[in-house]
Amino acid sequence: MSTISTALRNFKEPTKEQQTQIFFSLPAVGSLDGTEKTPAMEVEKMDINAVLSLGVQGEEDAYAGKLYIMAPYLAFASLDRKSVRFTIPLSTIRRVERLNARAGIYALSLSTWHGAKIIVQLTSLRPTADLFCSLLRDALKIELQRGQMRAVKGFVKTCYSEALVSTTSHVADNEREDGSLISEEQADPTPRESTYHGGLGLKFKFPGDPKKLREASKIKLWTQYLRAHGRNLTLLRYPQCTRLVQVGLPNRLRGEMWETLSGSVYLRFSNPGFYQELLDKNTGRTTTSTEDIEKDLHRSLPEYAGYQSEEGISALRRVLQAYSFKNPELGYCQAMNILAAAILIYMSEEQAFWLLEVLCDRLLPGYYAPSMHGTLLDQRVFEALVQRCLPIIHDHFQNVDVQLSVASLPWFLSLYINSMPMIFAFRIVDCFFCMGPKVLFQVGPAILKINGEKLLQIQDDGGFLNLMRDYFASLGESAHPHSPDPRARAITRFQELLLVSFREFSVITDDLIHSERRRFRSEIIHSIESFAKRGAVRNLRTLGRFSKEQAGLVYDALYKAMCLVPPPPDQPPPPSLVPTGDKTGEAEEKPETRIELRTFQFFLSEIATWARDERIVSNGFQRRVDREIAEHEFIDRLFFFWDTSCRGALSFQDLISGLDGVMFNDLMENIEWFFNLHDKNKDGFLTKDEVLTLSETFLFIFRYEVGDAYLGAVSRFMTNAFEYGDALLPPPDEKPELNEQGGETPPSIPTNQPYLNLATFRMVVLADEVLESFFETDLSASFRLEPLPEMELPVSSSGLLGDIWSTIATDTNKKMFNMFTDEIGKTIGKHQVVHRPSIGRYTKLEEPKARESLLTPSMRHSASKSSLSAESTKTAATSTSSTLSVDVNVSGKNSLPSSGSGFSPLPMLHAANIALMERTPFAIDDAKDDEDESDEDLDGEENDDQVMDEVDAFLEAHDSGLTDADKEVAKDLINAEPVK
Amino acid sequence: MADPAASGSVDKSVQVKLVLLGEAAVGKSSVVLRFVSNEFQANKEPTIGAAFLTQKCRLEDRVLRYEIWDTAGQERFHSLAPMYYRNAQAAVVVYDVTKATSLEKAKSWVKELQRQANPNIVIALAGNKVDLVQASASSPGAPSSSESEDEADDATATPGETPGSSEPESLRQVPREEAQAYATEAGLLFFETSAKTGEGIVDIFTEIAKKIPIEHILAATRGAGGRPGAAGGRAGSQQEGAVNLDATAKPKDACNC
Repeated sequence: MSTISTALRNFKEPTKEQQTQIFFSLPAVGSLDGTEKTPAMEVEKMDINAVLSLGVQGEEDAYAGKLYIMAPYLAFASLDRKSVRFTIPLSTIRRVERLNARAGIYALSLSTWHGAKIIVQLTSLRPTADLFCSLLRDALKIELQRGQMRAVKGFVKTCYSEALVSTTSHVADNEREDGSLISEEQADPTPRESTYHGGLGLKFKFPGDPKKLREASKIKLWTQYLRAHGRNLTLLRYPQCTRLVQVGLPNRLRGEMWETLSGSVYLRFSNPGFYQELLDKNTGRTTTSTEDIEKDLHRSLPEYAGYQSEEGISALRRVLQAYSFKNPELGYCQAMNILAAAILIYMSEEQAFWLLEVLCDRLLPGYYAPSMHGTLLDQRVFEALVQRCLPIIHDHFQNVDVQLSVASLPWFLSLYINSMPMIFAFRIVDCFFCMGPKVLFQVGPAILKINGEKLLQIQDDGGFLNLMRDYFASLGESAHPHSPDPRARAITRFQELLLVSFREFSVITDDLIHSERRRFRSEIIHSIESFAKRGAVRNLRTLGRFSKEQAGLVYDALYKAMCLVPPPPDQPPPPSLVPTGDKTGEAEEKPETRIELRTFQFFLSEIATWARDERIVSNGFQRRVDREIAEHEFIDRLFFFWDTSCRGALSFQDLISGLDGVMFNDLMENIEWFFNLHDKNKDGFLTKDEVLTLSETFLFIFRYEVGDAYLGAVSRFMTNAFEYGDALLPPPDEKPELNEQGGETPPSIPTNQPYLNLATFRMVVLADEVLESFFETDLSASFRLEPLPEMELPVSSSGLLGDIWSTIATDTNKKMFNMFTDEIGKTIGKHQVVHRPSIGRYTKLEEPKARESLLTPSMRHSASKSSLSAESTKTAATSTSSTLSVDVNVSGKNSLPSSGSGFSPLPMLHAANIALMERTPFAIDDAKDDEDESDEDLDGEENDDQVMDEVDAFLEAHDSGLTDADKEVAKDLINAEPVK
Repeated sequence: MADPAASGSVDKSVQVKLVLLGEAAVGKSSVVLRFVSNEFQANKEPTIGAAFLTQKCRLEDRVLRYEIWDTAGQERFHSLAPMYYRNAQAAVVVYDVTKATSLEKAKSWVKELQRQANPNIVIALAGNKVDLVQASASSPGAPSSSESEDEADDATATPGETPGSSEPESLRQVPREEAQAYATEAGLLFFETSAKTGEGIVDIFTEIAKKIPIEHILAATRGAGGRPGAAGGRAGSQQEGAVNLDATAKPKDACNC
């Protein structure tokens, strides 16, 4: 009924390297099927200080910045990170020359496919520059070997910009003739379709009036820009580029620029044919996502002519379906239909598919995930930013209890596309792809600020929404209709909005958004999780005898176990098994979270005292509890016993029902429960084997009990069980009647034959005081729902609770301290390890008080793999086999088992227990030691980051970062001759 | 702030926040559209988060102004729902009589509302698309063709559920008695409705209006200092019927003062 996701816990802050990749819109390595490239082909990443200038005099200023090699890309960003930047696939670099210039100046000239000449002056020390060059050379060679260089020509033909600047197409040809550094470039593989990709707009018209949008002059400006600064794969982004984007992209170029600015073009470039293959592979497949998509196809920008035709609808269907196949975990979320429909007006299906990928994955992270955590988080962040920038409006909203999200949620989820008239929304989208997600956070407050006075009048959510609706409808009107100045009158409200957004809210930077996200992430995750928990408890078919709170505790234990051992992701059934066509009879089964055995072991160890090994370690300095997960056949047995629907996995409901079946039992019920648990074929009889297994279970549960009472009880139990069992054994000729499964087996081998029934079992149990008390209270009481105080989620690895640094530090310190004190304790002979008993009824050897005081909440525990549990299974296994062998001998003689043979397993188990007690306690500590080291490495990295931040901050103070002399040098380089 | 006319109507017009919940594709938006503008047509507005509409409803000498939040039905928007049912005085939980699972979802919504929402919330259960299971088809061909046309336009319609050759009654998956019994047990108002034919739609809202503790709301509103403006300007043009069908959302008369 409910799905439980621990995905949010696994969030990791991006590393510095990942942040750089995100900044340059590089595809994540190994994002597709993990088959990116072999590690042998990896070239080290490196960055170097550099001054960039164009090989054409007077075209652009020189800019100081950083040049990055992140194979297979070369990237540059000016020091302010926004004026100038580029990301160029190495395969588009056709020529690299070292320039002959003034002494002490190290400069390279790079020629790109499009004929642009980029001059970079490496301003670091000579050896660094040399290293950079050699890396660049290696990376270029690899690209050559991969054949990417040849792919460029075919690829750029799919870009509209090529057609736009086609008058200069000879540039590319010349380029090849002048004998480049990389001189492979042979006859191209058959020229692919010479037509460029385009969207529905080419056929169904683009929204808006081309005259009013001044399409022609925009196209002219862009043609000039693209000619001089490269295009599509090799676009160099100078300030002019951003300015041109801010006045609105021309319709025909829009799709390509979106894909170039967002970086989705690199995905399309490096994964040719992927989209079509994906569709082919999944033809005819239906999933819940495809069904949801189907419902929304006709409600996606329905007023646009393209979506009143089958052509548009089916393109939309294919793109959305392809994405849901690519990312089944996300699948499909309403609002994605609007985005996809919008971008399909301007780009081809394949382009749209990759842009959607970039949107969902990088630009709007977590917005469309099943939990929509990204949406919730960014709404929270947005609210905080409004509080900071527009405190009066924020306070008014608080006073009249108006929620910002009721209006702003769709702004973010669908990039204003269904809030504003499309022509305006697309201009915001232009800026969004060019300048990044911060645009959403800048436009939002600007809307509120412009409407500030009216907003202070609204009294409720409805009024707020109406006001916003009116405002968006009026965006085309003049912002200053009564101004005497005609130029002021010509400014539309939309222009005013952009102006306010970028002028007044430029304080809202990517860094600010990131830090606000960090601030609120744990809060949001907590609220999502507690919401999910309430839902899960509410949706249980039956609570059994549990209260809501108790069920919540079970949920907590389950959740904790799932964090430690995540269940495998849902495998979508193969297409052939998915029924297609009619779905009326088919009750769509909602996916339900189920845990497997391994997770169950962790779960049970949270609940049942005997399902964990607790060692009380005292070393003269401190006493603490180390906790391990116990493994035993009994736990597996319980798992399958509770798996009533035989799926090999348990749901929350199964766990609740299972626990309900044991936690509220009285004496007789418990005996029956225990009996049934061991009666594998449910025929009402235990076989001899099962009696032995049952005894093993006893021994497992009692393994850490102090004193001999339980061992004695179990041995008495076995003696009695076999005695009564044999006495009640029917004469051999009647056996086939009783026996359901093995009629043909000869009666002389009774180990797998029905042997002991419930009544006899009950009698045997009740004959023993210790066992009686176990079944009367101790068994039920060994299940405890109260959370274990000193065991916490592995915060250090999930890193979501904000202050990672201190968490790691304390955790690490604690472990180190533990290890340290253990060592000292050992040397002074005070080290002592005691296992905490699961039942703890008999505590002769230990003072109860001391035991309780051990539960200090400060103790932590790391769920490391234990050699202990492995050892315990091993010993248990040995003892099992020995028991059986003895017993087979006995029964072979078909006589009453002697008391000696009944006892026989016990010395073995004794020995096992002793072995357990005496094992060297430092295997675990050693393992922890390793973890500590890796933690420390992390710390170091963070220190570095901080230093880097400082350096960055320092550099930023210098603006363009170039002295006049530097500029002079840069200019000189333009005319410099290559080194001979 | 508020002009005299507006303040005069404040004590007559009571604002009621109502939220529509239910599984995707059961016809929530259509129910609202029928109630608000007496139409059944292509649902052109995609619902992201929630759509907001208003409609007035006259009950004796009282005028109720419904503020209707029509929520997105997709499961993953569930976690956003509390934002919309927060402070709601009424809820309509919609299911589809031709889809048994939709009643299950409706039940879970009811549970959630009873636990998490305003404790005095009035909940109505509406089994929608009842036109699909009524045997009163004038001719075998006509209804199915018009149906499929309408349903195709109605974006939330479940594809493949339009009655083709199959018998109307066989489409029904939720017997009226079963839903009625559940509603009685859970203390809900219950209706079977058809947004397409209009059957039962107005009844939901009038019955809710009767059950709403109006005095209570009025007291609460006054306690909170009254609400000038917002509801004022529109109270004038009332019609004879129980429901005022004037197009509401021309919000130029929202408070501009």
